[in-house]
Amino acid sequence: MADFRLPANSRIRKGVTHKAPEAAREVRAFRIYRFDPDSGENPRVDTFELEAGECGQMVLDALIRIKSTVDSSLAFRRSCREGICGSCAMNIDGLNRLACITSLHDLGREVHIYPLPHMPVVKDLVPDLTHFYAQYASVKPWLLAETPAPPDRERLQSKAEQEKIDRPAACILCACCSTSCPSYWWNSDRYLGPAALLAAYRWIIDSRDEASGQRLDALEDPFKLYRCHTIMNCTDVCPKDLNPAKAIAEIKKMLVERQS
Amino acid sequence: MTKSSGSMSSAAQPRPGRGGEARQGPGNLRSPLGRAIGAGCAKQGVQHWWTQRLSAVALVPLAIWFAVSMLSLPSHDYSTVSAWMAQGWTSVFLILFVLSAAWHSQLGVRVVVEDYVHDSGTKSLALALVTFFHVVVAVAGVFAILKVAFGGAA
Ligand code: SF4
Ligand code: SF4
Ligand code: FES
Repeated sequence: MADFRLPANSRIRKGVTHKAPEAAREVRAFRIYRFDPDSGENPRVDTFELEAGECGQMVLDALIRIKSTVDSSLAFRRSCREGICGSCAMNIDGLNRLACITSLHDLGREVHIYPLPHMPVVKDLVPDLTHFYAQYASVKPWLLAETPAPPDRERLQSKAEQEKIDRPAACILCACCSTSCPSYWWNSDRYLGPAALLAAYRWIIDSRDEASGQRLDALEDPFKLYRCHTIMNCTDVCPKDLNPAKAIAEIKKMLVERQS
Repeated sequence: MTKSSGSMSSAAQPRPGRGGEARQGPGNLRSPLGRAIGAGCAKQGVQHWWTQRLSAVALVPLAIWFAVSMLSLPSHDYSTVSAWMAQGWTSVFLILFVLSAAWHSQLGVRVVVEDYVHDSGTKSLALALVTFFHVVVAVAGVFAILKVAFGGAA
């Protein structure tokens, strides 16, 4: 059956509170999910209080501040700090977003930070994305064509053809969408999820690709594709304003259209 | 507990937290890609998806017709309703209504079972029961309508 409770070893207990210095004028509290695989203990939620003026602009700045001044064992991923690498995706106040472009000014006094939902946790805010990446690889996200490329130049696309893939190709694989999708929570072992399906769509409609048919064949499956029930969480949370739900609907439409 | 030294290399290891162990039980050394591909593609789903939409579209006028007819009947006692049911077109539309509703419901309940029941034995059993149940309801409904239409007293 579906899991209605977290497994026993994943239930969250109360954590510790790191108080702000006495002198702090305005305090901001960060309630952060902590999990240490080496301790053998259940995850907990720690509270970190910071002087509001020292948090920086973005959630990522506050996390870095906490790591460098309060608790160096806090683990999270980040790299570009400008919303393009997709590393810092996490659940902030109930929404999956990128910590580096989520402004603290838009959040309340108390900020709740969890790893991406329903993924195995490696440590603290670091989810295990192995399966997510493998699903991406399984849709063969590269050009497949029998026709050799022209010897003297690249394969050409018209402006209109390029515009079709322009948005879908902007996906940064942050996993905000897939891990916000209830269908992906319940069936991610078999359902590919919005990110991988958006990637599949991007190649299906690429005018240079000659494997659109094979790609559609590979998706026509009750689980790989049709677990999407158009709940739209994916499109709501995408930090790059992409529309995976629409891409999935288009794939379903193409599958119907090629039948008659 | 397992030390994670980079997610790709340690992928096959059981890992605590948020359903990790449930998903990749200990002793599963299949590669991540192998696991993502799984049993491959069933090459079906289009028909299910399309007929679910078609039956939904069919149900719109049928349901409206049914509701309007019921509301405009002078009374809902047995003789009035069965006299209404016995009219030729009424029977035909009622049968269409029962069949589309049963069909649509079967398709929908099937999805719910597939979404939430993960043990494959329980799932097969549940899907079989769902199918049988809907067939019985559809046949019984059609039989009742025909009986009223042709037999008069039931
Ligand atoms: S579609 Fe958007 S949310 Fe999903 S992985 Fe790509 S960038 Fe992230
Ligand atoms: S639209 Fe589909 S992929 Fe997106 S959240 Fe809903 S079920 Fe998931
Ligand atoms: S650090 Fe690269 S997207 Fe946030």
